[in-house]
Amino acid sequence: MGLIGSYNLRSMIVRKGTAAMTAGGIAMVVAVFVMTLAIAQGFRATLVASGSPQNAIVLRKGATAETVSAVMRPDVPLIESLPQIARGPDGRPLASSELVVIIALPRQTDNQPANVPVRGVGPRAFDVRDNLTVVDGRKFTPGTREINVGRLAVGRFKGLTLGSDVRFGAATWKVVGIFTADDAAFESELWGDVDLMMPAFQRNGYQSMTVKLADPSMFDSFKAAIEADPRLYLVPQREQDYYAEQSRPLTTVIRVFGAFVTFILSIGAMFGAMNTMYAAVAYRTREIGTLRALGFSRFRIVTAFLAESVALALVGGVIGCILAIPVHGLSTGTTNFTSFSEVAFKFRITPALMAGGLLFSAVMGAVGGLLPAIRAARIPVARALREI
Amino acid sequence: MRGGGAPRHKKMKFISLVLKSAKRSKRRTLLTVMSVAIAVFLFASLRAVLDGFKAGAEASSSTRIVTIRSTSLIFSMPTSHTDAIRNTPGVQDLTWANWFGGIYKDPQNFFANFAVEPESYLRLYPEVLLTPEERTAFLEDRTGCIVGDGLARRYGFKVGDKITLQVGIPVYGTQDYDFTIRAIYRSGGAAVDNQSMLFHWKYVDERSLEKGQVGWYVIQVAHPDQATQVAMAIDQKFANSPYETKTDTERAFQSSFVSMFGNLNLLLGSIAIAVVITTLFVAGNTMAMSVRERTTEIAVMRTLGFPSSTIFLLIAGEALLMALVGGVIGVTLARVIVNPDLMQAGAFIPVFGVNNTNVAMAVLLSAVIGVLAGVIPATMASRLKIVDALRRVA
Repeated sequence: MGLIGSYNLRSMIVRKGTAAMTAGGIAMVVAVFVMTLAIAQGFRATLVASGSPQNAIVLRKGATAETVSAVMRPDVPLIESLPQIARGPDGRPLASSELVVIIALPRQTDNQPANVPVRGVGPRAFDVRDNLTVVDGRKFTPGTREINVGRLAVGRFKGLTLGSDVRFGAATWKVVGIFTADDAAFESELWGDVDLMMPAFQRNGYQSMTVKLADPSMFDSFKAAIEADPRLYLVPQREQDYYAEQSRPLTTVIRVFGAFVTFILSIGAMFGAMNTMYAAVAYRTREIGTLRALGFSRFRIVTAFLAESVALALVGGVIGCILAIPVHGLSTGTTNFTSFSEVAFKFRITPALMAGGLLFSAVMGAVGGLLPAIRAARIPVARALREI
Repeated sequence: MRGGGAPRHKKMKFISLVLKSAKRSKRRTLLTVMSVAIAVFLFASLRAVLDGFKAGAEASSSTRIVTIRSTSLIFSMPTSHTDAIRNTPGVQDLTWANWFGGIYKDPQNFFANFAVEPESYLRLYPEVLLTPEERTAFLEDRTGCIVGDGLARRYGFKVGDKITLQVGIPVYGTQDYDFTIRAIYRSGGAAVDNQSMLFHWKYVDERSLEKGQVGWYVIQVAHPDQATQVAMAIDQKFANSPYETKTDTERAFQSSFVSMFGNLNLLLGSIAIAVVITTLFVAGNTMAMSVRERTTEIAVMRTLGFPSSTIFLLIAGEALLMALVGGVIGVTLARVIVNPDLMQAGAFIPVFGVNNTNVAMAVLLSAVIGVLAGVIPATMASRLKIVDALRRVA
């Protein structure tokens, strides 16, 4: 094993020009693979981070998103009085009745109008979602036209810096605080008092209610209680499930697209690897003959050349992953089509994704190297030795 | 014997020499040609997708302008805006529509469906192609609808079929809406896609919880030059009212849809670059390998009196030939596979197909790949020192 292993490794180094080109081709494929999946990963992570295991979101039956849901005013006390909801220090339930409307603001990058979600929230919204922190300024005062803006929204849309005035819904709102939410979708939103938002947008009801449960395990009894009440045409979902579902259509599109592009591209790279390995086998016919004469079995020759090809591809895979790393954390945005609003998110390269990229490169190497390796093993010893 | 001044038979000899050397290792040539073909296929398809996104905006009419609520498209305005807009100087005609957002069986089956004021809508959008009989059939049935031929193909809709849409937006009540397909329209221009469903605004308005609401107005102006002026005049009329408006040309309206996907140009563009670089690696590698293999041969040719420029052209020509053959195969595949009939991407992605410009660009690209991949190996070959090369074994 030692001899044959180092033989193949050294042959690779001797032919470094060709080896580098082949690895380079594979590196590009892996880079594209990792980058496109980093988009899907980042988008999903952003939406999933919006949900907490302890929270539940209540929507109208059949509504797939907040924007198409409705929760009427009389429903609110019915839900708030349920015993499964956690209480604050003042004994009031930790629930927030909310309204999401979409306004158009120009993007920083291209000045095109983008659909920005504005969320009217109840006074306890910041207690219901504990991953929210105001990093600059202060929380808005209920009953005033003040708003808080998510940090990603400040960077993505124009005119949202601390202290500026924003005009929407026939009124002017003052930005008094910037908040973060662990990269969740809330960071792309504008938050203000729901009771002022409703008249500003001529709405007469809420769209959703988010509640903090006293304990995550109480979700089932909470759901049963709502379903049992004939006055409520509503259904609760675990917040995490809701946001995971929201991210599904877009992540599926990106994944399918990424898979399609990288699959086709990988065929090209595999042909490249195949070329290289065929050439390697042809150059070394005499050497292979010698190895066979020394008693190495055909199987050992196949595995050795396969290993060489996989090693070559893995070098490419590592380079590809390194090429992709700079996009990690890059902030970009797209429209979440289930809510029709723009979500800012960051490219996200996880160790699992990189491992996937390496595995992918190894597969390319193995598939590309298989036929040449078999050819190497099939060469008749006598003829191989005669070759110059 | 550089190309231009060379006699005809010499040129022929040159080409047959290139062909001979390409055939020398058939497998390698085939693999290289195929990898170029794949890259060109991918490139042409990506261009086609991008063009599909842009087509809607580019084909939009310059005499149509669109009025929406200044807050966002999802808010509606009262029908009382109709007369006020109609009385604005420069306005020739107008129609209105509402996004219905209905769900056909399952939310996964997404397609655009909207309520329109049928008569004026068909007047303003001559791109919706219907025969006079189909048109009358649609106008006369209050619960009738028309669907695009692409959509009809996707779900097997036929004229006379009943379709039920569940309500997607609460303002339209809770009961399902039944429609009868009165016609299948064809699209006469990229401003109208063939994946939509249109029905009567009145039918929806009757059952809507809020009556007399309009999602957007489409206004026809007499002359493209008036568009901006009329748009400003309309917005001024409603300034400081509870229903402020924002009016834009149809093109701006459409391109704001494209930009909703995020920076597509950058994403698809960088993938295309990666595709080209990968292919360059593969093709360049092959050429370098074949030059190395032929070192002795080239030295013999030089000894026989072939000038180094001919050797250069020979190698570069081989690379160019392989790339071009690959390019033509790739483009042909793309042309056949990526066309609007086969590609039913659905959802928010517009229809797309490989067009002649894509084809021309992709073939050009393959030529560039060929030249770039050939330059270094060809230089290597033409600079070979004859003595060294002859001394080398294999």
